[in-house]
Amino acid sequence: MHLAEVNLELYIPIGMLVVMAVLFVTANMVLTHLMGPRTLGANKDVPYESGMNPIGSARKRFNVRFYILAMTFLVFDVEIIFLYPWAVTFAKLEPRSPEATLFLARIMFFIATSIVAYVYAWRKGVFRWD
Amino acid sequence: MTWLWPALLLLVPLAGAVAIMFAPARQAKWIALLATTITFVHSVIVAVAFEHWHDGGFDLEAVVPSLGMESMGIAVRFGADSVSLLLVLLTTLLVPLCVWGSFSAISRRVKEYYGWLLVIEAAMVGVFLARDVIFFYVCFEFTLIPMYFLIAIWGSSNRSRACIKFFLFTFTGSLIALAGLLYVAWQYAEINAVFEPGGGSHLSWTFDIATLTSFAAGTLSASEQRWVLVALMAGFAVKVPLFPLHTWLPLAHTEAPAAGSVLLAGVLLKLGTYGLYRFVLPMVPVAVVEYAPVIAVISIIGILYAALICWVQDDLKRLVAYSSVSHLGFCVLGLVALNPLGAQGAVLYMINHGLSTGALFFLIGMIYERYHSRDMAELGGLAARMPVWGFFMVFFTLASVGLPGLNGFVSEMLCLIGTFTASATAEVYPGRLGPWYAAAAGVGMIFAAMYLLMMVGKVVFGPLKEPVVREPAQGRALPPDLCWREIGVLIPLAVLCLYLGFQPKPVTDAAAGSIETMLSAYPQEVRRYVARESADG
Amino acid sequence: MVDSQAMLDKVWFILPEIWLVIGAMVVSMMGLSGTRLVRDAVPVVVCCFLAVAMAGIAWVYGDADRLAGIDLLMPQLGPYVKMILCAIGIVLAMLSVGLIDRPLEDSLKSGRARFDPIRTSRGEFFAFFLLSLVGAMLVCNANDLIWLFLALELTSLPTYIMVAISRPSVKAQEAAVKYFFLGALAAAMFLYGFALLYGSTGTVVLTEMRDAFAEQAAGDGLNRLAIVGMILAVLGVSFKIVAVPMHFYAADVYEGAASPVTAFLAFVPKTAGIVAIILLLGTVGWSGHGAPGAGGLPQPILVTLWMISVLTMTLGNVGALLQRSAKRLLAYSSIAHSGYLLIGVIAGPGMGINAVLFYLLAYGVMNTAAFAVLSGLQRQGEEIESLDDLAGLRHRYPVMAVVMAVAALSLLGFPPLLGFWGKFSLLIAGIEAHRMPLVVIALVNSAISAWYYLRLVGLPILAMPTPASESITHRPVPWARVAAVIAALGLVALPLFVNELLP
Repeated sequence: MHLAEVNLELYIPIGMLVVMAVLFVTANMVLTHLMGPRTLGANKDVPYESGMNPIGSARKRFNVRFYILAMTFLVFDVEIIFLYPWAVTFAKLEPRSPEATLFLARIMFFIATSIVAYVYAWRKGVFRWD
Repeated sequence: MTWLWPALLLLVPLAGAVAIMFAPARQAKWIALLATTITFVHSVIVAVAFEHWHDGGFDLEAVVPSLGMESMGIAVRFGADSVSLLLVLLTTLLVPLCVWGSFSAISRRVKEYYGWLLVIEAAMVGVFLARDVIFFYVCFEFTLIPMYFLIAIWGSSNRSRACIKFFLFTFTGSLIALAGLLYVAWQYAEINAVFEPGGGSHLSWTFDIATLTSFAAGTLSASEQRWVLVALMAGFAVKVPLFPLHTWLPLAHTEAPAAGSVLLAGVLLKLGTYGLYRFVLPMVPVAVVEYAPVIAVISIIGILYAALICWVQDDLKRLVAYSSVSHLGFCVLGLVALNPLGAQGAVLYMINHGLSTGALFFLIGMIYERYHSRDMAELGGLAARMPVWGFFMVFFTLASVGLPGLNGFVSEMLCLIGTFTASATAEVYPGRLGPWYAAAAGVGMIFAAMYLLMMVGKVVFGPLKEPVVREPAQGRALPPDLCWREIGVLIPLAVLCLYLGFQPKPVTDAAAGSIETMLSAYPQEVRRYVARESADG
Repeated sequence: MVDSQAMLDKVWFILPEIWLVIGAMVVSMMGLSGTRLVRDAVPVVVCCFLAVAMAGIAWVYGDADRLAGIDLLMPQLGPYVKMILCAIGIVLAMLSVGLIDRPLEDSLKSGRARFDPIRTSRGEFFAFFLLSLVGAMLVCNANDLIWLFLALELTSLPTYIMVAISRPSVKAQEAAVKYFFLGALAAAMFLYGFALLYGSTGTVVLTEMRDAFAEQAAGDGLNRLAIVGMILAVLGVSFKIVAVPMHFYAADVYEGAASPVTAFLAFVPKTAGIVAIILLLGTVGWSGHGAPGAGGLPQPILVTLWMISVLTMTLGNVGALLQRSAKRLLAYSSIAHSGYLLIGVIAGPGMGINAVLFYLLAYGVMNTAAFAVLSGLQRQGEEIESLDDLAGLRHRYPVMAVVMAVAALSLLGFPPLLGFWGKFSLLIAGIEAHRMPLVVIALVNSAISAWYYLRLVGLPILAMPTPASESITHRPVPWARVAAVIAALGLVALPLFVNELLP
């Protein structure tokens, strides 16, 4: 398919979707503004209406370990997600066929790299909190 | 293993250089002397066994297996005709003398010094023996490195500028020459491309000098030949050096150590004229015929200009350096006369200039070793202090001036006669020069006599004037006059000068056959050119 | 379902790379060991892995049947490029011995500190070293744009980190950040180019792209989008080879990184980039699609490459003339050499590509030799940078001075060193492809470059030492100097085997 030959009509559904999304949002905002009940007062303006009083600045610094931990979590989380499509495909393969062996070998390699990464992170002290 | 026979001329000096690397510094000069002497003896044996002294054929032809680029037709290909062999002999004679002559002058970084002398000998011999363009180019370029270090380490005060200028000039020039040679090789490869049955084709490259020469002379069009001529001249004219490109030479000569100057004048400048002889003249006859007067005029300008500059020099070495520019002008003039007389003169001149100017640089080096000065204002009447030195100085100056009976005379006369007779109307070998050119160049001869004799008059004769030597000579003190070793260096040169003055026939005869082959196409080309000229108007 | 046999065939071909990835994992673990002996063994293990990988490459590509089954645009690139990458990789690994964590190891040895894995980065450095090499090797196996992109990024991403951790100074960090952002810009550029190429051919597979282009050329000429895409892609990849529109980072980054890493930067990403450009251009072909009657690349692409080549060599050489720092000088010389390489790329398959591959080998050796000298020396633990620091090197380290001179002469292309044969084959390739002006410009550039390379010859060997250069000492670890000698010997001895080395 050449881009030059692309037929713009193909994009009409997408355009309509965009228009609908915009309309939906604006309509809702306008409608709540017009129809919603209003109560005003000092308590209404505080961040937490549940009655908690906010203390200190909102720009609090977090320990860098939080970030490292979060990133480590993210990496392993994504790696685990990879396993899912693999498992679905693997189930369909003929047992003991070369494809299946190759598939198994690949995921084993993948898991091995993950384990190495895990040991590496452990040794580097990512999970240590002192 | 036939390749080993010519290759030994390169390998022995290189082996000597390697040996020096691992030997103690005290032994370095003896190893160098041994290696260069063996090479000289070997070259003499090669010369005696050589069978083509009179017919211009090639001998010693051999290819070193598995070196180079086979797919490109590049190989280490040896071969020599009589002219190459004469120049090899000149080289192998001068280098041991340089080694011997440096025994007392060099006291610093001795191992490197002799190592470089041996390496440069191998490179120079390689240039003369090469029958492959790339092998030639590699050796031609590689002479730069030893010379660069010889000037830069053992030179005098202004050496760093001298060696950089020397390197950049020659390197740039030879790159352009390489471009010209590559062009010729490419044309050959294109025209002889092999078409495969499948529809593809591949170029058949070769860098064999003989093949490319006959191809270029026969096939290239006039305009192509013109471009190739310009490219090749850019490379070789820097080396000779011809007039506007000569500026590196006085600097390099002045700053180089004595042996460096000897090799520079004796052999390295001949690489340029040898390049003209081996490549320019046989490869691009049409363009040479067309541009012969231009090259001749440039040479004559060089002869006169350098001679005039010599007149006002007060540095001895610089004076002799400029005289080289002037002398080499005669050599080029003889070559572009396009007749056997001129070319024989040129070949003889290459040898003679190497002997007599080489000796002059030795003599100046000996003075410099004693007085640490080359200034003519500080030196005078040295014959009183050093009669032996004075004798040799006068002798070699006269040889250089062209006194009949000494070698310079014959070659200069031959070059001039060649130029004189090279008129368009000449019977056998018409040329594009003529009496006027010879007359102009002859003025240069008179100049040469004047400035060289004035120099001798000042330095050798007259009232004694010696500079105050601030520091004593390094190492052993030298006697006031020449010692036996120094005389021993000069004697072989003096004998050869005398011999070639009375009996130049062996050299001219040897060159004749080779020259005849080279010039075979010229009479016809010149006649064709002259006919076309007169038809045009 | 995937064709498992084809898949298996492909896995065969990347076995050496898989092996090196395993090596990277092993090395990153070893770097965290509490035993000094294990940590010190890291470079040795790297060299072992690379040596085995070389044997693996010879074995994998030795089987002609296996090669027949593979669908690659230019399968002949693989063995040669991978071999030189591994071989020079071994020398580069030797350069890097003792580079990382030197202060930490010293204080550990003297008992002032206890080992803490978080403070060490040697294992990571060598792991990234191997990964970057793997990336460059994988570029040769690319048969689609996605693989090509990933392999190029795998080459580059580790180098950003290598620059940052190469030495404990702000300069290195600054260099890394610059390198990273400009690298990201370049990646965006060639990715955009890839997108346009996909848009104009409808495929990302290089062999199919070649067929699509052939079809277009047979019809009414190449799609304009394809040409724009190709030019964008080439410009983007020219970041990796430090060619002209994307060269400006070179001096700063090369100066900021430690010398062994600079040597790595000047060779590995450049090789990957050149191979990538060859593969991309291979789809359009040098057979003259879109330029009826004339051989060669389509006109706009040819003109672009021609200009890149000329500007790259000229700016590189002129820029190098002005430098006072040895590393900046070599950075500009690296730019200039990319310009020479592009001559071979323009010349195309056959002699051109062979010459490019041979030149990559020659350049790798001589570049490594020059940087090995800088890596082997130091001033109180700091890098030496200025050219003046090299003055009179001969008096203290004669061997290093000679190596520097040999490397500089080879970079200049002085016969009979390896660099001459490399440059010579590029020139021949240019001539064969009827690119005489380009060849002449390259020769002029060689003449210009003589001026600054001569300084690298003259300063160490001829100049007198200055008080500043007197304070230079060698690094405590000898391996960089050993690597320098090996590389210099290669420059002198390899010309004897030109016949065997030409691909």
